[in-house]
Amino acid sequence: MGVGNAATHTDKKVIRRKWKWNRNGTVLRKTKYALLGKEADQGLLFKLFIYVILIDTAYIYLNPLFFMISTMVKDASDLVDPAVNWVPRVIYLGTLQEAWVMLDYAKSFFLSTGLTLAIAASQTLLCAVAGYAFARLEFPLKTFWMFCLLLTFIVPPQLTILPMLLAASELGWINKLYPLLLPALFGHGLKGALFVIIFRQFFGTQPKDLEEAARIDGANVFKVFYKVMLPLARPAIIVVFLFSFVWNWNDSYYPGMYLINAQDVPLSLGMSKISAGIEARIAENGPTVFDEPIKMATSFLMILPPLVLYMFTQRYFVEGVERTGLVE
Amino acid sequence: MKRLSAKAVRNIEGSLFIAPWVVGFFVFMAFPIFYSLYMSFHRVQVLATGIEANFVGFDLYKSILFENGSVLYNDLIPFLSEAVIMLPIIIIFSLLIAIILNQRFPGRLAFRMIFFLPVIFTTGRVILEFIAQGEGGLDFLSRYNVNSFIATRLPELWANAIITVLESFILILWYSGVQILLFLAGRQTIPSSIYEASRIDGANPWETFWKITLPGMIPFIFLNLIYTVVDLFTFPTNPIIAKVNSSNYGLSSALAWIYFMIILAFLGVTLLVFHRITRSYRVVNS
Repeated sequence: MGVGNAATHTDKKVIRRKWKWNRNGTVLRKTKYALLGKEADQGLLFKLFIYVILIDTAYIYLNPLFFMISTMVKDASDLVDPAVNWVPRVIYLGTLQEAWVMLDYAKSFFLSTGLTLAIAASQTLLCAVAGYAFARLEFPLKTFWMFCLLLTFIVPPQLTILPMLLAASELGWINKLYPLLLPALFGHGLKGALFVIIFRQFFGTQPKDLEEAARIDGANVFKVFYKVMLPLARPAIIVVFLFSFVWNWNDSYYPGMYLINAQDVPLSLGMSKISAGIEARIAENGPTVFDEPIKMATSFLMILPPLVLYMFTQRYFVEGVERTGLVE
Repeated sequence: MKRLSAKAVRNIEGSLFIAPWVVGFFVFMAFPIFYSLYMSFHRVQVLATGIEANFVGFDLYKSILFENGSVLYNDLIPFLSEAVIMLPIIIIFSLLIAIILNQRFPGRLAFRMIFFLPVIFTTGRVILEFIAQGEGGLDFLSRYNVNSFIATRLPELWANAIITVLESFILILWYSGVQILLFLAGRQTIPSSIYEASRIDGANPWETFWKITLPGMIPFIFLNLIYTVVDLFTFPTNPIIAKVNSSNYGLSSALAWIYFMIILAFLGVTLLVFHRITRSYRVVNS
């Protein structure tokens, strides 16, 4: 009996110890789960790690923007004072005004907006047409044209610019806007091939049922495209339109080539002319404290419109990017 | 009237749709390419009466490649070695960011909005202004004198390239905007059921990344490689771009063609290396 009692006693002790150990284990495991997560992507440490990376990168991306705005609104005394780093003592808008006048902002803003909207709209529509043909329709030599599309994608603009310049001058189109707009009307122009590829991929992922149903109902191919496929393609249209708008807005290469002596120029070209002028003055007379703020102010005025556009469209844009599936 | 066969009708419809693009291809691509090829073999003068071209054969190419190589070798070679270093940085960074942005966490939308910002800025003049302002460097480089450390330990060409890349490191990250978008879009194509299945089978996230995410992303890495190479070669800082101008049509055309051939070769080598690296991967996984 005594032996049995003792055994039970020891058993109890062991059990209690085990239980204690177990409880400790649970606590340990709980802490471990809280820190590391049951799945590696749920733990606190992992979340912390992600946020550190994201915030760092977001800082990298936003830093030049902050720098631009902060430099732009500094006045002369803030600019030379090394104690004033990020936040100026007074908000001075004179630099911005000066940049406004130098850019002839009201005029070049409307020129840029009109031109870019026209280019972006026609590029979006015509690239959608071509992309639809590549994705869904039959036409002779399709493989060959697909090869040409890829070729168009990798040919640098420098290879084709000189003959186009010669052609434009033969036609008397130098300093006119036609050579900038015309390629877009045929689904080419700045990064046109990329847009065709995006549309091709998008239309390729759409189910065929809708089209077939519309065809059986007697709709012709134009009607199918216009009434069925284009409304479906809204995410792709938003993505391409925004890309096209922003890239054409910022581009100063083509305008710089075609609009050599033009009186009214788009903002991008106006900005690069101002900055070239400042460089030339620095080379002659040495730098002044106002060079940097003026450059930053012109940059700011130039990127402001696409920035505002992006703020209004970014939700659709983010959704659009995910839904287009951009590529197969 | 004879009725056309269904196939003929489909061909006509398709041709109508592709027609604008094909016309555009002839006018804005095929003609300029052949004309610039023609000009690269001629000494071209633009006179009031028209364009005069005298055949000179390969003289212009020879002059760029052998006699007057400074344009090509002094500017382009450093740029190419920079590109070799930048390419993997851009690809890996954007893949990492895209995978992180694909996770579910609070504030995801705000971060996404910020991360697409570079797409707006990274073309044209604005970026050049930032380079000129010295934005885009890393502070600790000058603090710890990393540059001289690199310079004493590597051949000059690569040391200079690495230093340039480090000095504009942040700008390189700026150039990853479109790549992040492509990866993010690509990540959506991997169905979540595969991830659930692997979790049930007891795979940890580390294994899941290497066995599911990465193989699924290979086509997008491929696409991003092509896009990045093409994009790098039209970088605003690219020295060759400014050299192709209308002061000498023949010489500039020859330069543009040499440049295009270099792009093709670079693209070819990149894809070959990529193919080599991923081949073993595909064998293992299939």
